[in-house]
Amino acid sequence: MTDTTTVQPALVVDHVSHVYGSGASAHHAISDLAFSVQPGEFVSIVGPSGAGKTTLLRTLAGLLRPSEGAVIVDGNRISGVPAGMAMVFQDYSRSLLPWLTIEKNVGFPLEGKKVTKAEKKAIIQESLEAVGLGGFAKRYPWQLSGGMQQRVAIARALAYRPTLLLMDEPFASVDAQTREGLEDLVLRIRDTYGMTILFVTHDIDESVYLANRVLVLSRPPARLAEDIAVNLPEPRDQITTREDPEFIRLRGHVARLIHSGGEPE
Amino acid sequence: MTDTSTRALAARASRPAVRPRWQRALVSFAYFAIPIAAVIGIWQLVTMLNPPAPFFPQPFAIIANLWDLLFGSPKAVQQVFYGEFLQTVGRMALGFAIGAVWGIVIGTIMGLWRGARETINPIVEFLRSIPATATLPLFIILLGGGNDMRVVFIAYGVSWFVLINTSVGVGSVHKTLLDVGKVFKISPARRLFRILLPGAMPKIFAGLRIASTAALLLAIVSEFMLATDGVGYMLVQAQGRFQLLNMWSWMLALAILGLIINSLLEWIEGRLLGWHRQSKSRA
Repeated sequence: MTDTTTVQPALVVDHVSHVYGSGASAHHAISDLAFSVQPGEFVSIVGPSGAGKTTLLRTLAGLLRPSEGAVIVDGNRISGVPAGMAMVFQDYSRSLLPWLTIEKNVGFPLEGKKVTKAEKKAIIQESLEAVGLGGFAKRYPWQLSGGMQQRVAIARALAYRPTLLLMDEPFASVDAQTREGLEDLVLRIRDTYGMTILFVTHDIDESVYLANRVLVLSRPPARLAEDIAVNLPEPRDQITTREDPEFIRLRGHVARLIHSGGEPE
Repeated sequence: MTDTSTRALAARASRPAVRPRWQRALVSFAYFAIPIAAVIGIWQLVTMLNPPAPFFPQPFAIIANLWDLLFGSPKAVQQVFYGEFLQTVGRMALGFAIGAVWGIVIGTIMGLWRGARETINPIVEFLRSIPATATLPLFIILLGGGNDMRVVFIAYGVSWFVLINTSVGVGSVHKTLLDVGKVFKISPARRLFRILLPGAMPKIFAGLRIASTAALLLAIVSEFMLATDGVGYMLVQAQGRFQLLNMWSWMLALAILGLIINSLLEWIEGRLLGWHRQSKSRA
Protein backbone atom coordinates (compact mmCIF):
# COMPACT_ATOMS: atom_id res chain seq x y z
CA MET A 1 0.00 0.00 0.00
CA THR A 2 1.43 3.33 -1.05
CA ASP A 3 -1.47 5.08 0.58
CA THR A 4 -0.61 6.99 3.72
CA THR A 5 -3.95 6.18 5.33
CA THR A 6 -3.27 2.45 5.46
CA VAL A 7 -6.33 0.28 5.53
CA GLN A 8 -6.12 -2.70 7.84
CA PRO A 9 -5.95 -5.82 5.65
CA ALA A 10 -8.95 -8.17 5.86
CA LEU A 11 -6.57 -11.09 5.95
CA VAL A 12 -2.87 -11.56 6.44
CA VAL A 13 -1.19 -14.87 5.81
CA ASP A 14 2.02 -14.50 7.79
CA HIS A 15 4.64 -17.01 6.66
CA VAL A 16 2.37 -20.03 7.01
CA SER A 17 3.72 -23.54 6.60
CA HIS A 18 1.78 -26.73 6.91
CA VAL A 19 3.22 -30.19 7.34
CA TYR A 20 1.13 -33.36 7.51
CA GLY A 21 2.66 -36.11 9.61
CA SER A 22 6.25 -36.12 10.78
CA GLY A 23 9.59 -37.77 10.19
CA ALA A 24 10.35 -39.42 6.86
CA SER A 25 6.69 -39.66 5.81
CA ALA A 26 6.03 -35.97 6.45
CA HIS A 27 4.25 -34.17 3.64
CA HIS A 28 5.07 -30.48 3.32
CA ALA A 29 1.84 -29.11 1.85
CA ILE A 30 2.54 -25.41 2.27
CA SER A 31 5.88 -23.73 2.76
CA ASP A 32 6.39 -20.22 4.06
CA LEU A 33 3.41 -18.69 2.31
CA ALA A 34 2.87 -14.97 2.82
CA PHE A 35 0.35 -12.56 1.34
CA SER A 36 -2.36 -10.20 2.45
CA VAL A 37 -5.82 -9.37 1.18
CA GLN A 38 -7.47 -5.95 1.37
CA PRO A 39 -11.13 -5.52 2.34
CA GLY A 40 -13.43 -5.95 -0.63
CA GLU A 41 -10.84 -7.66 -2.79
CA PHE A 42 -11.69 -10.73 -4.85
CA VAL A 43 -8.66 -13.00 -4.81
CA SER A 44 -8.44 -16.23 -6.80
CA ILE A 45 -6.04 -18.95 -5.74
CA VAL A 46 -4.86 -21.38 -8.41
CA GLY A 47 -2.09 -23.91 -8.61
CA PRO A 48 -1.17 -27.33 -9.97
CA SER A 49 -3.39 -30.10 -8.65
CA GLY A 50 -2.27 -31.30 -5.26
CA ALA A 51 -0.70 -27.91 -4.58
CA GLY A 52 -2.25 -27.61 -1.15
CA LYS A 53 -5.02 -25.20 -2.18
CA THR A 54 -7.57 -26.91 0.05
CA THR A 55 -5.06 -27.16 2.90
CA LEU A 56 -4.51 -23.43 2.59
CA LEU A 57 -8.22 -22.66 2.62
CA ARG A 58 -8.85 -24.93 5.61
CA THR A 59 -5.99 -23.21 7.43
CA LEU A 60 -7.47 -19.78 6.65
CA ALA A 61 -10.84 -21.03 7.88
CA GLY A 62 -9.31 -22.00 11.21
CA LEU A 63 -10.18 -25.66 10.61
CA LEU A 64 -6.49 -26.54 10.46
CA ARG A 65 -3.82 -25.06 12.66
CA PRO A 66 -0.74 -24.02 10.67
CA SER A 67 2.46 -25.84 11.57
CA GLU A 68 4.27 -22.50 11.42
CA GLY A 69 3.26 -18.91 10.95
CA ALA A 70 -0.03 -17.20 11.64
CA VAL A 71 -3.27 -16.23 9.98
CA ILE A 72 -4.48 -12.76 10.91
CA VAL A 73 -8.09 -11.79 10.24
CA ASP A 74 -9.07 -8.15 10.82
CA GLY A 75 -5.94 -7.59 12.84
CA ASN A 76 -6.41 -10.58 15.13
CA ARG A 77 -4.31 -13.69 15.00
CA ILE A 78 -6.79 -16.58 14.74
CA SER A 79 -6.68 -19.64 16.96
CA GLY A 80 -9.88 -21.22 15.66
CA VAL A 81 -12.64 -20.39 13.23
CA PRO A 82 -12.70 -16.57 13.02
CA ALA A 83 -15.93 -14.65 13.46
CA GLY A 84 -17.49 -13.10 10.37
CA MET A 85 -16.09 -15.72 8.04
CA ALA A 86 -18.21 -18.07 5.94
CA MET A 87 -17.28 -20.83 3.58
CA VAL A 88 -18.78 -22.47 0.51
CA PHE A 89 -17.57 -26.03 0.15
CA GLN A 90 -16.72 -27.87 -3.01
CA ASP A 91 -19.07 -30.78 -2.44
CA TYR A 92 -22.50 -29.16 -2.25
CA SER A 93 -24.31 -32.50 -1.99
CA ARG A 94 -22.42 -33.16 1.24
CA SER A 95 -22.38 -29.65 2.65
CA LEU A 96 -26.17 -29.21 2.82
CA LEU A 97 -28.21 -31.00 5.47
CA PRO A 98 -30.52 -33.34 3.53
CA TRP A 99 -33.03 -33.59 6.39
CA LEU A 100 -33.69 -29.84 6.41
CA THR A 101 -35.66 -27.81 3.91
CA ILE A 102 -33.88 -25.15 1.87
CA GLU A 103 -35.01 -22.36 4.20
CA LYS A 104 -33.84 -24.26 7.26
CA ASN A 105 -30.51 -24.99 5.61
CA VAL A 106 -30.07 -21.31 4.81
CA GLY A 107 -31.04 -20.36 8.36
CA PHE A 108 -28.73 -22.98 9.86
CA PRO A 109 -25.76 -20.62 10.51
CA LEU A 110 -28.09 -18.51 12.67
CA GLU A 111 -28.78 -21.39 15.07
CA GLY A 112 -28.00 -20.40 18.62
CA LYS A 113 -27.19 -16.85 17.55
CA LYS A 114 -28.91 -13.78 18.94
CA VAL A 115 -31.42 -13.31 16.15
CA THR A 116 -35.17 -13.00 16.57
CA LYS A 117 -37.52 -15.24 14.63
CA ALA A 118 -38.71 -12.39 12.44
CA GLU A 119 -35.16 -11.26 11.70
CA LYS A 120 -34.16 -14.80 10.88
CA LYS A 121 -37.06 -15.17 8.50
CA ALA A 122 -36.20 -11.90 6.77
CA ILE A 123 -32.52 -12.85 6.44
CA ILE A 124 -33.41 -16.25 4.96
CA GLN A 125 -35.79 -14.72 2.47
CA GLU A 126 -33.31 -12.04 1.45
CA SER A 127 -30.47 -14.55 1.07
CA LEU A 128 -32.59 -16.90 -1.02
CA GLU A 129 -33.68 -14.05 -3.25
CA ALA A 130 -30.07 -12.91 -3.65
CA VAL A 131 -29.29 -16.26 -5.26
CA GLY A 132 -32.55 -16.40 -7.19
CA LEU A 133 -34.17 -19.19 -5.20
CA GLY A 134 -36.94 -17.22 -3.52
CA GLY A 135 -39.59 -19.78 -4.48
CA PHE A 136 -37.76 -22.87 -3.26
CA ALA A 137 -37.84 -22.31 0.51
CA LYS A 138 -39.91 -25.41 1.30
CA ARG A 139 -38.06 -27.82 -0.96
CA TYR A 140 -35.35 -30.21 0.11
CA PRO A 141 -31.76 -30.04 -1.21
CA TRP A 142 -32.02 -33.36 -3.01
CA GLN A 143 -34.99 -32.07 -4.98
CA LEU A 144 -32.80 -29.45 -6.63
CA SER A 145 -30.16 -29.65 -9.37
CA GLY A 146 -26.47 -29.43 -8.53
CA GLY A 147 -26.19 -25.79 -9.54
CA MET A 148 -29.22 -24.89 -7.44
CA GLN A 149 -27.81 -26.76 -4.46
CA GLN A 150 -24.62 -24.75 -4.69
CA ARG A 151 -26.72 -21.59 -4.82
CA VAL A 152 -28.38 -22.72 -1.59
CA ALA A 153 -24.91 -23.14 -0.07
CA ILE A 154 -24.07 -19.59 -1.19
CA ALA A 155 -27.33 -18.30 0.30
CA ARG A 156 -26.46 -20.04 3.56
CA ALA A 157 -23.10 -18.29 3.60
CA LEU A 158 -24.86 -14.96 2.92
CA ALA A 159 -27.30 -15.51 5.78
CA TYR A 160 -24.31 -15.59 8.09
CA ARG A 161 -23.49 -12.02 6.97
CA PRO A 162 -19.76 -12.66 6.56
CA THR A 163 -17.14 -10.02 5.86
CA LEU A 164 -14.82 -12.71 4.52
CA LEU A 165 -16.06 -15.47 2.24
CA LEU A 166 -13.93 -18.50 1.41
CA MET A 167 -14.93 -20.61 -1.58
CA ASP A 168 -13.31 -23.97 -2.18
CA GLU A 169 -13.64 -24.95 -5.85
CA PRO A 170 -17.35 -24.26 -5.53
CA PHE A 171 -18.23 -24.78 -9.19
CA ALA A 172 -15.99 -27.76 -9.91
CA SER A 173 -18.86 -30.18 -10.38
CA VAL A 174 -21.48 -28.19 -12.29
CA ASP A 175 -21.82 -27.96 -16.06
CA ALA A 176 -20.28 -25.09 -18.02
CA GLN A 177 -23.44 -23.01 -18.51
CA THR A 178 -24.52 -23.33 -14.91
CA ARG A 179 -21.01 -22.38 -13.93
CA GLU A 180 -21.14 -19.11 -15.88
CA GLY A 181 -24.38 -18.20 -14.17
CA LEU A 182 -22.91 -18.96 -10.76
CA GLU A 183 -19.75 -16.95 -11.49
CA ASP A 184 -21.79 -13.87 -12.32
CA LEU A 185 -23.95 -14.50 -9.27
CA VAL A 186 -20.87 -14.42 -7.04
CA LEU A 187 -19.67 -11.18 -8.62
CA ARG A 188 -23.11 -9.61 -8.11
CA ILE A 189 -23.17 -10.71 -4.50
CA ARG A 190 -19.70 -9.28 -3.91
CA ASP A 191 -20.92 -5.92 -5.26
CA THR A 192 -24.10 -5.98 -3.17
CA TYR A 193 -22.58 -7.10 0.11
CA GLY A 194 -19.07 -5.71 -0.31
CA MET A 195 -17.36 -8.68 1.23
CA THR A 196 -13.84 -9.96 0.74
CA ILE A 197 -13.74 -13.18 -1.26
CA LEU A 198 -11.04 -15.82 -1.52
CA PHE A 199 -11.82 -18.20 -4.32
CA VAL A 200 -9.89 -21.43 -4.80
CA THR A 201 -10.29 -22.96 -8.25
CA HIS A 202 -8.47 -25.22 -10.67
CA ASP A 203 -10.05 -23.44 -13.61
CA ILE A 204 -7.59 -20.84 -14.98
CA ASP A 205 -10.18 -18.86 -16.96
CA GLU A 206 -12.47 -18.70 -13.97
CA SER A 207 -9.67 -17.47 -11.71
CA VAL A 208 -8.91 -14.55 -14.05
CA TYR A 209 -12.53 -13.80 -14.93
CA LEU A 210 -13.63 -13.35 -11.33
CA ALA A 211 -10.71 -11.83 -9.51
CA ASN A 212 -8.92 -8.58 -8.84
CA ARG A 213 -5.85 -10.65 -8.08
CA VAL A 214 -4.75 -14.17 -8.89
CA LEU A 215 -2.38 -15.93 -6.54
CA VAL A 216 -0.57 -18.77 -8.29
CA LEU A 217 0.78 -21.47 -6.02
CA SER A 218 3.70 -23.71 -6.90
CA ARG A 219 3.86 -27.50 -6.68
CA PRO A 220 3.97 -28.72 -3.08
CA PRO A 221 5.36 -27.63 -0.77
CA ALA A 222 3.30 -24.71 -2.04
CA ARG A 223 4.94 -21.33 -2.22
CA LEU A 224 3.55 -18.22 -3.80
CA ALA A 225 4.75 -18.49 -7.43
CA GLU A 226 3.26 -15.17 -8.46
CA ASP A 227 0.81 -12.56 -7.28
CA ILE A 228 -0.89 -11.25 -10.43
CA ALA A 229 -3.05 -8.11 -10.51
CA VAL A 230 -6.07 -8.39 -12.80
CA ASN A 231 -7.07 -5.02 -14.21
CA LEU A 232 -9.96 -5.97 -16.42
CA PRO A 233 -12.90 -3.58 -16.90
CA GLU A 234 -15.81 -3.90 -14.48
CA PRO A 235 -18.46 -5.19 -14.54
CA ARG A 236 -17.11 -8.40 -15.98
CA ASP A 237 -19.01 -9.96 -18.85
CA GLN A 238 -18.92 -13.59 -19.88
CA ILE A 239 -18.41 -12.71 -23.55
CA THR A 240 -16.59 -9.39 -23.77
CA THR A 241 -14.28 -9.94 -20.79
CA ARG A 242 -13.20 -13.28 -22.16
CA GLU A 243 -12.46 -11.64 -25.55
CA ASP A 244 -10.35 -8.89 -24.00
CA PRO A 245 -6.69 -9.22 -25.10
CA GLU A 246 -5.66 -8.55 -21.50
CA PHE A 247 -7.80 -11.51 -20.34
CA ILE A 248 -6.19 -13.73 -22.97
CA ARG A 249 -2.71 -12.54 -21.98
CA LEU A 250 -3.40 -13.15 -18.28
CA ARG A 251 -4.92 -16.59 -18.73
CA GLY A 252 -1.94 -17.59 -20.87
CA HIS A 253 0.45 -16.30 -18.25
CA VAL A 254 -1.31 -18.16 -15.42
CA ALA A 255 -1.53 -21.33 -17.50
CA ARG A 256 2.22 -21.23 -18.23
CA LEU A 257 2.98 -20.74 -14.57
CA ILE A 258 0.83 -23.69 -13.59
CA HIS A 259 2.16 -25.97 -16.30
CA SER A 260 5.72 -25.27 -15.24
CA GLY A 261 4.65 -26.20 -11.72
CA GLY A 262 4.99 -22.66 -10.49
CA GLU A 263 8.69 -22.44 -11.34
CA PRO A 264 9.82 -19.44 -13.37
CA GLU A 265 10.61 -20.39 -16.97
CA MET B 1 -31.24 -51.15 3.93
CA THR B 2 -32.88 -54.00 2.05
CA ASP B 3 -36.12 -52.29 2.79
CA THR B 4 -35.15 -49.06 1.04
CA SER B 5 -33.79 -50.88 -1.98
CA THR B 6 -36.93 -52.96 -2.42
CA ARG B 7 -38.96 -49.80 -2.13
CA ALA B 8 -36.80 -48.16 -4.79
CA LEU B 9 -37.26 -51.17 -7.03
CA ALA B 10 -40.99 -51.16 -6.45
CA ALA B 11 -41.09 -47.45 -7.26
CA ARG B 12 -39.20 -48.03 -10.49
CA ALA B 13 -41.39 -50.98 -11.50
CA SER B 14 -44.61 -49.08 -10.97
CA ARG B 15 -43.42 -45.91 -12.71
CA PRO B 16 -45.02 -46.51 -16.16
CA ALA B 17 -48.55 -46.42 -14.71
CA VAL B 18 -48.86 -44.39 -11.52
CA ARG B 19 -51.98 -45.65 -9.78
CA PRO B 20 -53.98 -43.55 -7.33
CA ARG B 21 -53.01 -43.82 -3.69
CA TRP B 22 -55.95 -45.97 -2.57
CA GLN B 23 -55.30 -48.47 -5.35
CA ARG B 24 -51.67 -48.79 -4.37
CA ALA B 25 -52.70 -49.27 -0.73
CA LEU B 26 -55.15 -51.95 -1.82
CA VAL B 27 -52.51 -53.74 -3.88
CA SER B 28 -49.96 -53.72 -1.07
CA PHE B 29 -52.61 -54.96 1.35
CA ALA B 30 -53.49 -57.75 -1.05
CA TYR B 31 -49.85 -58.79 -1.30
CA PHE B 32 -49.80 -59.01 2.47
CA ALA B 33 -53.21 -60.59 3.08
CA ILE B 34 -53.60 -63.13 0.27
CA PRO B 35 -50.69 -65.44 1.18
CA ILE B 36 -51.71 -65.38 4.84
CA ALA B 37 -55.35 -66.05 3.99
CA ALA B 38 -54.24 -68.91 1.73
CA VAL B 39 -52.19 -70.57 4.48
CA ILE B 40 -55.00 -70.18 7.02
CA GLY B 41 -57.53 -71.47 4.51
CA ILE B 42 -55.53 -74.59 3.69
CA TRP B 43 -54.83 -75.22 7.35
CA GLN B 44 -58.50 -74.82 8.20
CA LEU B 45 -59.53 -77.19 5.41
CA VAL B 46 -57.00 -79.86 6.33
CA THR B 47 -57.94 -79.79 10.03
CA MET B 48 -61.65 -79.88 9.18
CA LEU B 49 -61.33 -82.81 6.78
CA ASN B 50 -58.96 -84.75 8.95
CA PRO B 51 -60.08 -84.78 12.58
CA PRO B 52 -58.77 -85.16 15.13
CA ALA B 53 -55.42 -83.32 15.06
CA PRO B 54 -54.82 -82.37 18.70
CA PHE B 55 -51.45 -80.63 18.09
CA PHE B 56 -52.80 -78.46 15.28
CA PRO B 57 -56.15 -76.90 16.22
CA GLN B 58 -58.28 -75.24 13.58
CA PRO B 59 -57.12 -71.68 12.87
CA PHE B 60 -60.58 -70.22 13.36
CA ALA B 61 -60.76 -71.96 16.71
CA ILE B 62 -57.40 -70.42 17.66
CA ILE B 63 -58.62 -66.93 16.72
CA ALA B 64 -61.92 -67.38 18.55
CA ASN B 65 -60.14 -68.77 21.60
CA LEU B 66 -57.72 -65.84 21.67
CA TRP B 67 -60.60 -63.41 21.57
CA ASP B 68 -62.24 -65.35 24.40
CA LEU B 69 -59.05 -65.41 26.45
CA LEU B 70 -58.47 -61.68 26.18
CA PHE B 71 -61.91 -60.12 25.90
CA GLY B 72 -64.40 -62.96 26.57
CA SER B 73 -65.64 -61.50 29.84
CA PRO B 74 -64.94 -58.41 31.99
CA LYS B 75 -62.90 -60.70 34.21
CA ALA B 76 -60.85 -61.91 31.24
CA VAL B 77 -60.15 -58.35 30.19
CA GLN B 78 -59.07 -57.51 33.71
CA GLN B 79 -56.96 -60.57 34.41
CA VAL B 80 -55.68 -61.70 31.07
CA PHE B 81 -55.57 -58.64 28.83
CA TYR B 82 -54.30 -56.28 31.51
CA GLY B 83 -52.76 -58.89 33.83
CA GLU B 84 -50.80 -60.93 31.28
CA PHE B 85 -50.74 -59.41 27.83
CA LEU B 86 -50.07 -55.82 28.80
CA GLN B 87 -47.51 -56.97 31.37
CA THR B 88 -45.44 -58.38 28.56
CA VAL B 89 -45.95 -55.31 26.39
CA GLY B 90 -45.01 -53.05 29.29
CA ARG B 91 -41.75 -54.74 30.25
CA MET B 92 -40.83 -55.10 26.61
CA ALA B 93 -41.44 -51.40 25.92
CA LEU B 94 -39.56 -50.29 29.04
CA GLY B 95 -36.62 -52.59 28.37
CA PHE B 96 -36.53 -51.49 24.75
CA ALA B 97 -36.58 -47.80 25.71
CA ILE B 98 -33.81 -48.14 28.29
CA GLY B 99 -31.70 -50.28 25.98
CA ALA B 100 -32.22 -47.88 23.07
CA VAL B 101 -31.22 -44.80 25.07
CA TRP B 102 -28.21 -46.59 26.53
CA GLY B 103 -27.19 -47.86 23.09
CA ILE B 104 -27.53 -44.43 21.50
CA VAL B 105 -25.48 -42.77 24.26
CA ILE B 106 -22.61 -45.27 24.22
CA GLY B 107 -22.79 -45.63 20.43
CA THR B 108 -22.53 -41.85 20.03
CA ILE B 109 -19.49 -41.71 22.31
CA MET B 110 -17.91 -44.51 20.30
CA GLY B 111 -18.76 -42.83 17.01
CA LEU B 112 -17.34 -39.50 18.13
CA TRP B 113 -14.01 -40.47 19.61
CA ARG B 114 -11.65 -42.92 18.08
CA GLY B 115 -10.00 -43.54 21.45
CA ALA B 116 -13.33 -44.46 23.03
CA ARG B 117 -14.21 -46.66 20.07
CA GLU B 118 -10.98 -48.59 20.21
CA THR B 119 -11.21 -49.01 23.98
CA ILE B 120 -14.85 -50.05 24.12
CA ASN B 121 -15.01 -52.10 20.91
CA PRO B 122 -13.27 -55.27 22.19
CA ILE B 123 -15.55 -55.31 25.22
CA VAL B 124 -18.61 -54.83 23.04
CA GLU B 125 -17.51 -57.53 20.60
CA PHE B 126 -16.91 -59.97 23.44
CA LEU B 127 -20.10 -59.31 25.37
CA ARG B 128 -22.40 -59.33 22.39
CA SER B 129 -20.97 -62.70 21.29
CA ILE B 130 -22.65 -64.20 24.33
CA PRO B 131 -26.21 -65.00 23.19
CA ALA B 132 -28.37 -62.58 25.19
CA THR B 133 -30.70 -65.41 26.21
CA ALA B 134 -27.76 -67.20 27.82
CA THR B 135 -27.28 -64.34 30.26
CA LEU B 136 -30.74 -64.77 31.78
CA PRO B 137 -29.56 -67.09 34.61
CA LEU B 138 -26.93 -64.50 35.56
CA PHE B 139 -29.51 -61.71 35.64
CA ILE B 140 -31.76 -63.87 37.83
CA ILE B 141 -28.93 -64.46 40.30
CA LEU B 142 -27.96 -60.79 40.33
CA LEU B 143 -31.40 -59.18 40.37
CA GLY B 144 -33.84 -61.87 41.48
CA GLY B 145 -36.93 -63.12 39.71
CA GLY B 146 -38.92 -59.90 39.62
CA ASN B 147 -40.01 -57.48 36.95
CA ASP B 148 -36.89 -55.29 37.32
CA MET B 149 -34.69 -58.20 36.35
CA ARG B 150 -36.73 -58.81 33.20
CA VAL B 151 -36.60 -55.16 32.16
CA VAL B 152 -32.83 -54.97 32.71
CA PHE B 153 -32.35 -58.25 30.85
CA ILE B 154 -34.33 -56.97 27.84
CA ALA B 155 -32.50 -53.61 27.92
CA TYR B 156 -29.14 -55.38 27.98
CA GLY B 157 -29.92 -57.67 25.07
CA VAL B 158 -31.47 -54.92 22.98
CA SER B 159 -28.76 -52.32 23.51
CA TRP B 160 -26.13 -54.00 21.30
CA PHE B 161 -28.04 -53.55 18.08
CA VAL B 162 -28.64 -49.86 18.77
CA LEU B 163 -25.12 -49.29 20.08
CA ILE B 164 -23.34 -50.73 17.08
CA ASN B 165 -25.58 -49.05 14.53
CA THR B 166 -25.33 -45.69 16.29
CA SER B 167 -21.56 -45.94 16.45
CA VAL B 168 -21.34 -46.70 12.73
CA GLY B 169 -23.94 -44.06 11.88
CA VAL B 170 -22.28 -41.27 13.86
CA GLY B 171 -18.88 -42.25 12.50
CA SER B 172 -20.13 -42.14 8.93
CA VAL B 173 -21.52 -38.60 8.99
CA HIS B 174 -19.51 -36.85 6.30
CA LYS B 175 -16.61 -34.68 7.42
CA THR B 176 -17.85 -31.77 5.32
CA LEU B 177 -21.02 -31.58 7.41
CA LEU B 178 -18.93 -31.37 10.57
CA ASP B 179 -16.85 -28.61 8.97
CA VAL B 180 -20.08 -26.75 8.16
CA GLY B 181 -20.96 -26.82 11.86
CA LYS B 182 -17.54 -25.52 12.86
CA VAL B 183 -17.31 -22.82 10.18
CA PHE B 184 -20.66 -21.32 11.19
CA LYS B 185 -19.67 -21.49 14.84
CA ILE B 186 -22.46 -23.84 15.84
CA SER B 187 -21.99 -24.92 19.47
CA PRO B 188 -20.80 -28.51 20.08
CA ALA B 189 -24.13 -29.47 21.66
CA ARG B 190 -26.04 -28.20 18.64
CA ARG B 191 -23.60 -29.91 16.32
CA LEU B 192 -24.43 -33.17 18.10
CA PHE B 193 -28.19 -32.78 18.04
CA ARG B 194 -28.60 -30.96 14.74
CA ILE B 195 -25.91 -32.57 12.57
CA LEU B 196 -24.50 -35.80 13.99
CA LEU B 197 -27.60 -37.52 15.34
CA PRO B 198 -29.90 -36.63 12.42
CA GLY B 199 -27.16 -37.74 10.04
CA ALA B 200 -26.81 -41.02 11.89
CA MET B 201 -30.58 -41.50 12.19
CA PRO B 202 -31.04 -43.87 9.22
CA LYS B 203 -28.51 -46.26 10.74
CA ILE B 204 -29.88 -45.80 14.26
CA PHE B 205 -33.36 -46.65 13.02
CA ALA B 206 -32.16 -49.79 11.30
CA GLY B 207 -30.75 -50.80 14.71
CA LEU B 208 -34.01 -49.94 16.48
CA ARG B 209 -35.97 -52.14 14.08
CA ILE B 210 -33.82 -55.18 14.88
CA ALA B 211 -33.84 -54.24 18.56
CA SER B 212 -37.65 -54.19 18.69
CA THR B 213 -37.81 -57.75 17.41
CA ALA B 214 -35.18 -58.76 19.95
CA ALA B 215 -37.10 -57.00 22.74
CA LEU B 216 -40.20 -59.11 22.17
CA LEU B 217 -38.13 -62.28 21.95
CA LEU B 218 -36.26 -61.53 25.17
CA ALA B 219 -39.44 -60.51 27.00
CA ILE B 220 -41.02 -63.89 26.23
CA VAL B 221 -37.88 -65.86 27.09
CA SER B 222 -37.54 -63.96 30.37
CA GLU B 223 -41.11 -64.96 31.23
CA PHE B 224 -40.30 -68.63 30.78
CA MET B 225 -38.31 -68.56 34.01
CA LEU B 226 -39.55 -67.71 37.50
CA ALA B 227 -42.39 -65.57 36.15
CA THR B 228 -45.87 -65.22 37.58
CA ASP B 229 -47.40 -63.32 34.70
CA GLY B 230 -46.93 -62.36 31.07
CA VAL B 231 -47.51 -64.08 27.75
CA GLY B 232 -44.35 -66.18 28.10
CA TYR B 233 -45.62 -67.45 31.43
CA MET B 234 -49.04 -68.23 29.93
CA LEU B 235 -47.37 -70.13 27.10
CA VAL B 236 -45.41 -72.33 29.47
CA GLN B 237 -48.51 -72.88 31.62
CA ALA B 238 -50.60 -73.88 28.63
CA GLN B 239 -47.93 -76.26 27.44
CA GLY B 240 -47.58 -77.81 30.93
CA ARG B 241 -51.32 -78.36 31.16
CA PHE B 242 -51.52 -79.59 27.60
CA GLN B 243 -53.89 -76.75 26.68
CA LEU B 244 -52.79 -76.71 23.07
CA LEU B 245 -55.51 -74.36 21.90
CA ASN B 246 -54.41 -71.78 24.46
CA MET B 247 -50.78 -72.27 23.46
CA TRP B 248 -51.59 -71.58 19.83
CA SER B 249 -53.70 -68.59 20.79
CA TRP B 250 -50.82 -67.02 22.68
CA MET B 251 -48.50 -67.61 19.77
CA LEU B 252 -51.01 -65.83 17.56
CA ALA B 253 -51.21 -62.97 20.07
CA LEU B 254 -47.44 -62.56 19.85
CA ALA B 255 -47.48 -62.59 16.06
CA ILE B 256 -50.07 -59.81 16.09
CA LEU B 257 -48.06 -57.88 18.68
CA GLY B 258 -44.92 -58.20 16.56
CA LEU B 259 -46.75 -56.91 13.50
CA ILE B 260 -48.16 -53.95 15.41
CA ILE B 261 -44.72 -53.00 16.78
CA ASN B 262 -43.15 -53.28 13.37
CA SER B 263 -45.78 -51.16 11.64
CA LEU B 264 -45.54 -48.60 14.42
CA LEU B 265 -41.79 -48.27 13.93
CA GLU B 266 -42.22 -48.19 10.18
CA TRP B 267 -44.68 -45.35 10.56
CA ILE B 268 -42.36 -43.36 12.82
CA GLU B 269 -39.48 -44.04 10.48
CA GLY B 270 -41.49 -42.82 7.51
CA ARG B 271 -42.24 -39.54 9.29
CA LEU B 272 -38.70 -39.06 10.60
CA LEU B 273 -36.69 -40.36 7.69
CA GLY B 274 -38.79 -39.45 4.68
CA TRP B 275 -35.86 -37.29 3.52
CA HIS B 276 -33.54 -40.26 3.58
CA ARG B 277 -35.71 -42.61 1.59
CA GLN B 278 -36.60 -39.99 -0.97
CA SER B 279 -33.08 -38.62 -1.38
CA LYS B 280 -31.78 -42.17 -1.87
CA SER B 281 -34.40 -43.10 -4.44
CA ARG B 282 -33.36 -40.05 -6.46
CA ALA B 283 -29.66 -40.72 -6.32
